Amino acid sequence: MYRSEYRRSFDVYLFVLPIIIFCIGLFFLYSASRGMQEIKGINFTARQVTWFFLSVAIAFVVANIDFRRFLDWSYLYYFLIVALLITILFIGGARMGAKRWLSIGGFTLQPSEFAKLALIMTIAHYLGNNRYSSRSIKIFFSALIMTAFVFILIFKEPDLGGALALLPILFAILIASDIPLGYILGSLILGVLSSPLLWYVMKDYQKRRLLVFLNPNMDPLGAGYTIIQSKIAIGSGGIFGKGWMSGTQNQLNFLPERHTDFIFSVVGEEWGFVGCLLVILLFSLLIFRVLQVAGRTNDYKGKLVVVGIAAMLSFQMIVNIAMTAGFMPVVGLPLPLISYGGSSLITTWIAIALVINVDMRRTIF
Amino acid sequence: MRLKILKNLIILGTALLIICLWYLQCVENERYKILSQNNRIRIVPLVAPRGNIYDRNMNLLAGSRLAFDCAIIPQEFDSESGQLGALCLLLGEPLEAIRDIINKNTIAPFAPLTLKKDIGKETAIKISEKIVDLPGVIIHTYPARFYPHANACAHVTGYVGKINEDELSVLRDYGYKMRDVVGRGGLELYYDDYLKGESGGRQTEVDSRGRELRSLGIKEPEKGLDIMTTIDIDLQEYASSLLEGLRGSIIVLESETGQILSMVSKPDYDPNIFIYPDNSLQVKRLLDRKDYPFVNRGISGLYPPGSVFKVVTATAALELGKIGDDERLNCNGYYMIGNRRFNCWRKKGHGSQKITEAIRNSCNVFFYQLGLKAGPDALTDFAERYQLNLPTNIDLPYEKSGVVPSGSWKRRFRKEAWYKGDTLNFAIGQGYLSLTPIGILKVYNTIAQNGYLITPIVVKNIGNVDVYNVEKSRINVTSNTFAAIKRGVGMAVEDENGTAHRAYVGGVDVAGKTGTAQTGAASTHAWFAGFAPNDKPRIAIVIFVEHGGKGGSIPCEIASKIFTKLKELEYL
Repeated sequence: MYRSEYRRSFDVYLFVLPIIIFCIGLFFLYSASRGMQEIKGINFTARQVTWFFLSVAIAFVVANIDFRRFLDWSYLYYFLIVALLITILFIGGARMGAKRWLSIGGFTLQPSEFAKLALIMTIAHYLGNNRYSSRSIKIFFSALIMTAFVFILIFKEPDLGGALALLPILFAILIASDIPLGYILGSLILGVLSSPLLWYVMKDYQKRRLLVFLNPNMDPLGAGYTIIQSKIAIGSGGIFGKGWMSGTQNQLNFLPERHTDFIFSVVGEEWGFVGCLLVILLFSLLIFRVLQVAGRTNDYKGKLVVVGIAAMLSFQMIVNIAMTAGFMPVVGLPLPLISYGGSSLITTWIAIALVINVDMRRTIF
Repeated sequence: MRLKILKNLIILGTALLIICLWYLQCVENERYKILSQNNRIRIVPLVAPRGNIYDRNMNLLAGSRLAFDCAIIPQEFDSESGQLGALCLLLGEPLEAIRDIINKNTIAPFAPLTLKKDIGKETAIKISEKIVDLPGVIIHTYPARFYPHANACAHVTGYVGKINEDELSVLRDYGYKMRDVVGRGGLELYYDDYLKGESGGRQTEVDSRGRELRSLGIKEPEKGLDIMTTIDIDLQEYASSLLEGLRGSIIVLESETGQILSMVSKPDYDPNIFIYPDNSLQVKRLLDRKDYPFVNRGISGLYPPGSVFKVVTATAALELGKIGDDERLNCNGYYMIGNRRFNCWRKKGHGSQKITEAIRNSCNVFFYQLGLKAGPDALTDFAERYQLNLPTNIDLPYEKSGVVPSGSWKRRFRKEAWYKGDTLNFAIGQGYLSLTPIGILKVYNTIAQNGYLITPIVVKNIGNVDVYNVEKSRINVTSNTFAAIKRGVGMAVEDENGTAHRAYVGGVDVAGKTGTAQTGAASTHAWFAGFAPNDKPRIAIVIFVEHGGKGGSIPCEIASKIFTKLKELEYL
């Protein structure tokens, strides 16, 4: 199907590392969902494996179609996503006070996950098309506005984490592009200065989360409960952890959301600091491999796409772990490849497939 | 290269993350380990049932029954569905009331919330049968104190309550803990140490909902020791019924042993109402009552004894040789000190009397003269020989010792000299003298036992070990004196015109003395103290009726009924 020179330049680590991370994640998902399985009657591990095969199948297809042909359709994805996000604002199923899911044939999809990819491709495509007028402030602002539009829609769901994840993606792509650094720095400073305005548009529960982050004991049984319990779980893990399937915080149900956003607290509790280091190390290896691809590709658009993906992965990894350990406010971001959830898994694998795609085609120029 | 900026940013973020995790997991590990242990391990206290209190025939006076509270775990209980209605129906409570409790009292979603206390065994069983359909509903079982004879024995048993802060600060060193139940009066208080037992505890692993998953260790609670009292509950109930509607006290004593057969104080209270805080209004009403239902009048009330005291005056005069057995003194209805007139209760006087006749007649003038002959110091001395100035050391709390006046006492407390008139009042049990009914009973029992001072007791057996031991000491009075007094108190009951004749019971040789004590108020306190049979006394008794009129009427009638009952119960 694909040409032999493509196969030769295929970086096997880009495929193997995510699988290792996923397998480790599967262990913890099993440990975390064992108790819930009985209550909810859902076998989370089996479902996640199903999602995995579906994701890899999709990734296989994505990897084998020239990414430039995908990029040609970028604006379509963008409009599709915007349409989906608008739809979801009106008819989406509410879970825990947030409309993030869309039910399609029994599956629930979370379009904000796919929005990241769509945005990466759109911005990359747009900046690539206008590479020679990079110094134009108009181009810079267009990129900002494209992002801001999606940002607001996701923020309105409300999904603060999903919205915030768009920002490092945008700025990573901008930094890697030919846009003058002055523009980027200027807009960053302006953004930081105007961030207090965000307070006025935040939902009550988002404000509460922020306040509770500053002082979790303010509401130890309500909003602060998750942070406190998660911190206790990770902190009590120590250096070597309590052993797989032996975390008391996890097994005795003290950790809410532990199969999705807070799965890292199970890693921290059961495998301790060593386990945390292992997971972070594997992610770092993956991210550096991705950045290497960005460095060695000759395709401008491809580089921007890969950089966006590297930013997406690292931001999610760092923010998710930091919020789980109580170093950051809870914003609701999954840990890629490890948290339970189909949308996140498919998005991540498509992202990986795109990186492989770009990497395999680096030599054709 | 711009990519380098990104790379460095990611390295920086990851490094910070690792440092933070290292701090959390390696530096602060101990702290979080303890927190996770506290999360997981819960100590469930196991309440030790209190020891039972029995009467002398092993009838239960105070015991423990299983009580059931109905509670819910809010996060597991769906109060919006039909479950709440079904539960209310089972509890027999209106839906609104329960909903109100849920709305007002919920502390945390996982903390059990009591909906109704003491729901009764039948309801508890009914709910337990349907517990599968009622997720989040729990039945909490614990031992609760109950008193089958309620009011009748209240002052003997006392009652229990949750320990309060003041009590805890004193008792903490003795192993008492918050939420412990402590005795609050009567035997419950006096023998609390034996009755309370030792609470146990179960260390269990719980999940986030507080559900117990497995037991890590258990310390079984130790039931408190059972106490067997000397009370005869049949007699107690009967005595209680005789005093119904009155204020006062009845104490019946086994003469030779000092064992209390019955001790009634009125007004009384139902010790069962203190078990639940829900009854606080009822308790408050009881506490606010002006007639002090909590005071055990038999041992904690101090009253002027009136004529029942005359036997002490007689003892002093006889013992000091101030009057002979056959020596006569005259009563013409009054006695003059200077120009102050001291009346006899019989206006026309009793004429010439021997001491036994004077006791029978309860003649005031005779005893005025006797008091003057003996002198106030001797009266004080003999009152103290009968230990009226001391508590009897009965094994019940809050006993008071009597007030026995003397010249120095009056100078000290009243800042006045002792007058002759004081001596006259002292001689007939009036004036500054004030005694407890049990103090009076001790005097008459000492006479009955020819001078043996016997400590009255209520408990004879604790945890199957006999603790009963007659404490006897001898009063420094000769037996001739007692013989004369016994003749007098015998005649008071036996003779048709004796002052205590209404206490007469055919076939029982009752001896006794009445008392009608001036109180300063319009009505007088009425007393009867005595024993039976006169020649070899087996029972001593005191009856006191606050503002009960003449000692010769109500108390004597009660005494007669009690002696009849005692005969029926084969104590006589």
